[in-house]
Amino acid sequence: MSAPATVIDLSYWQVGVALVLIVVVIVISIRQSLGLERDLALGSLRTIVQLYAVGLILAAVFASARWYWVLLMLIAMTAVATGAAVSRLRKPIPGRHGIAGLALTLSTAAILAYVIGVVVQVRPWYEPQYVIPLAGMILGNAMTAAALAGDRLQSDLRARADEVEAMLSLGFSGREAVQPLVRAALRAAMIPTVNGMMTVGVVQLPGMMTGQILAGSSPLVAIEYQIVVVFMLAAGTAMASLIFVRLAVGRYLTPAHQLRRYML
Amino acid sequence: MNKPARDPIFQAEHLSLAHPAGRGQTAAAILHDVSLEVERGEALALIGPSGSGKSTLLRCLNRLAEPTGGTVRFNGRDIRSLDPRELRRRAALVMQTPVLFEGTVRENLRLRSAGADDDFSDERLAASLADVGLDPAMLARDASTLSGGEKQRVTIARAILRNPEALLLDEPTSALDPPNATLVIETVSRLRESRRLSIVAVTHQPDLVQRLGGTLLYLVKGRVEASASLDGSAPALGDPRLQAFLAGELPTAPSEPR
Repeated sequence: MSAPATVIDLSYWQVGVALVLIVVVIVISIRQSLGLERDLALGSLRTIVQLYAVGLILAAVFASARWYWVLLMLIAMTAVATGAAVSRLRKPIPGRHGIAGLALTLSTAAILAYVIGVVVQVRPWYEPQYVIPLAGMILGNAMTAAALAGDRLQSDLRARADEVEAMLSLGFSGREAVQPLVRAALRAAMIPTVNGMMTVGVVQLPGMMTGQILAGSSPLVAIEYQIVVVFMLAAGTAMASLIFVRLAVGRYLTPAHQLRRYML
Repeated sequence: MNKPARDPIFQAEHLSLAHPAGRGQTAAAILHDVSLEVERGEALALIGPSGSGKSTLLRCLNRLAEPTGGTVRFNGRDIRSLDPRELRRRAALVMQTPVLFEGTVRENLRLRSAGADDDFSDERLAASLADVGLDPAMLARDASTLSGGEKQRVTIARAILRNPEALLLDEPTSALDPPNATLVIETVSRLRESRRLSIVAVTHQPDLVQRLGGTLLYLVKGRVEASASLDGSAPALGDPRLQAFLAGELPTAPSEPR
């Protein structure tokens, strides 16, 4: 990467001036009776506080550049993503945190290891400048994918319970009977990513690429990273939703090939 | 009752079923101490108001539902010692709303699990359609174009193809209009005679019960409140509710399709 000589360091007052944009949104909300003013104000405040807090923590981790601080940071990120992935389920699935945690940890660890070890060849492996943003992107996508898959699985299990029981009644195993629903949930989780791949760079510049260009990288370096990131996110989405759906659907089945209808 | 050789296909003893308590809700009891027996080749009708546990009781017989207490025996064996998949092929369930999958009637009839080795030749498929009073030419039709009554009879043909010993019917006619309901009732009673099928039916239709004969169980809130045998020339219906049901005067509205 070229030296970020052209970066304009924002001062506090410049960030403050950007708040005018939020004021515009709040005015719209009041005039149109959207009732979103409070949430907008709180959301803006949280944006400021959370990002400054993360900035301070990242600055400290970057400065220390110790593997254990990086690892701790990754664990904390995974824990937050796990909670968020299952927080909007319509009906809680028993063991949901364990299931989501396993899905996110396995998918992120495997893909991150491949990207930093084989593709980008980061040395040392824990170089926070690479590891933390890459892990954050995988986790973010994996979290959304698991949430989408879980939501679709739950609504399908409810809507298509008769279909599942019809299959069971014909002598199919529990796994066979839910397979069409598993497939639908995986597709629902992956379609946004696949669609995103079709228009990447054309409709809008991806956030990471924008950031790199703003930070002074050549667009050609930025797109190379972005290509790796797109492939990485596709793999993360697929792996996380697959593990999550497989484990989650198992909670609705018994060893005697029964559907636990009371859980729907 | 003094039948000489008793040969029950189903025996349920002291069944109870309660769903585990979820967060903020108490355990919901669905069945309390229900016992029943179905003689081979005979029929048993389960009647009662919605929410009385009839469908759950039916699903305990092929182990789609798991009782929390009591035992179900199929041909004398505790069903927990059988492979549930095999049990369900031998005691086939027909649901209130017929479930047909995407594809043709042929594809629907042929549905089978990876391990199964049924004979699904076109001749057998056609014969099964004829058995339920449908035109064998229907094999190539897209299943989604069938009427409700045709769909229900295709699901019966699909069950019959697997050579079941018993049919479990969960309100098989309540989603149908009267002419189609009559066709399904006739199909079931004809199959029962030609194949010596045992039948357990959850129903709100006195016609079906009259045609099948056998035993009538009246369930309320998961308990058997009355029962009677319909066989013989002058069946003894002790409970006035059973008489009212058979006269079509007991308001036991069909359950909402699930």
